[in-house]
Amino acid sequence: MSVGNAPVKLSVEGLSKVYESRQGSTVALEDVSWSVNEGEFISVVGASGCGKTTMLRMLAGLILPTDGRVLLNGDVVRGPSADRGFVFQQDALLPWRTLLDNVLIGPDVMGRRSEFVEEAKRYISLVGLDGFDSYYPHELSGGMRQRVNLARALVVDPEVLLMDEPFAALDSQTREVMQAELINIWDQARKTVMFVTHQIDEAVFLSDRVFVLSPRPGRLRQIVDIDLQRPRDLGVKRTARFAEVVDQIWKLIEEEVRAGIAEELRDAKRQREGVPE
Amino acid sequence: MSNQTATVATTTHKPPSGQKSWLRGVWHFLYQHRRGAGSLVFVLVALEIVARYIIDNQLFLASPTRVYQAGVALGRSGELWTHIYTSGIEFILGFAIASVVGIAIGALMGLSTTVRAYLEPWVSALYATPIIAIGPLFILWFGLGITSKVLLVVVTAIFPVIINTHVGLTNVDQSLHESVRSFGASKWQLFRMVRLPSSLPFLVAGERLAVARALVGVVVAELFGARAGLGYLILVSAQTFNTANLFVGVIVLAGSGVIAMAVLQRLEYRLSPWRVRE
Repeated sequence: MSVGNAPVKLSVEGLSKVYESRQGSTVALEDVSWSVNEGEFISVVGASGCGKTTMLRMLAGLILPTDGRVLLNGDVVRGPSADRGFVFQQDALLPWRTLLDNVLIGPDVMGRRSEFVEEAKRYISLVGLDGFDSYYPHELSGGMRQRVNLARALVVDPEVLLMDEPFAALDSQTREVMQAELINIWDQARKTVMFVTHQIDEAVFLSDRVFVLSPRPGRLRQIVDIDLQRPRDLGVKRTARFAEVVDQIWKLIEEEVRAGIAEELRDAKRQREGVPE
Repeated sequence: MSNQTATVATTTHKPPSGQKSWLRGVWHFLYQHRRGAGSLVFVLVALEIVARYIIDNQLFLASPTRVYQAGVALGRSGELWTHIYTSGIEFILGFAIASVVGIAIGALMGLSTTVRAYLEPWVSALYATPIIAIGPLFILWFGLGITSKVLLVVVTAIFPVIINTHVGLTNVDQSLHESVRSFGASKWQLFRMVRLPSSLPFLVAGERLAVARALVGVVVAELFGARAGLGYLILVSAQTFNTANLFVGVIVLAGSGVIAMAVLQRLEYRLSPWRVRE
């Protein structure tokens, strides 16, 4: 891999998260350790309930681990900060702010708005939204809003980009275009990226490595190196090698996905019948 | 069906072109509100007919034309303006105090669970209580002057403000909150950048309820005992069987309500340009 000798950017050691509730405790993530080098593009996949979003939120500092720690440049992460940009699944734009003002939320929080106005415009143009500065979120399509989300996370020049199923709500064509654009942007900015998704082909297309998690409790099951050549375009998806890698990852999680579906059925029944667990 | 006829009508009833823009504006307004205006005119004409030819007793009903004449007479003598001025001051003071204090209390309840725990039973109990009923006590405590009126307006109008402020500040979309928090925003920044703006629509809705309640508060407070004001005008007119004057008071009140609501609506649009207009 091209980034094999780059320094370690982000790592976790023995990371665990337990949620306590009246029904008892749920282990969302158990004893996960890995490290990611600077400039690497990592995707995280796994059946639902594998704790991938929980892990990402701990990386962001939005929630704190029950056990273990997150290290950024070797320093322990204790809370959210602008050095990690988070791109949310739902478009989390503030409806009362224009596009430009939404992109400037980070600088506003840092109290350095004026320094970043030019930079914000540069990123707005990078995500292809030139001329939409004064638009409100309700005037934009879902795809456009996700572009704004991306620009907002990038504008403060974070060291790591954390993306939580950012394209999940988009239709499949828009999603493909967004994937290609994300690759382009990543090529230019060379950020370290952690990308959570449930689309295996998306993970394979974008990543240097794919972390496969297994559910109940969430554990790191396997790390799959993606040896497809860069730069990649959407044509890669039609190659035999691509299909092979996707298939390999799918086989890792297939059983758990089916088990998850069966469990959902049981849960729904249990709720209807009111049978205590 | 009604939609269809409406669109057809719009295309055929275009205002004549080449006129002054304000004239076109008036035309447009009248056209848009043609059904409402039509029903107003219908009721007024019906009332006039009933009052003149059917219930020909000025004690029971005053015809619209007589109410108009009474209004003109009250206006000429200056009496009407005194009443409007008195009630207006009571309304504005009471409403302003209710807004400021209500927002402050609501904000405290929205921000501190301790404050909320202490105040919640009082607020929810008093919101549903017709506090207006203790109006006579207020007259007793604070006299016939303006103080008793203003205070009664405050206690009738304040509760929707408190409740809506508190609800607005607590019902914040968590994903918005989190998106700003991910940049390391402080609690105060989160309040200023997320909670406050997202509670604005709730706040304005609270103010609207407060306007309606404050108007009732003014009138009822004056009914319980006053020396001037629209409620006083209504009371005295009723006692002297002057139905026309009574209606003048009622109509002025209705008009103020409509104007106050329109002003608030404008304010809401100004404060929240991002909201989708219907």
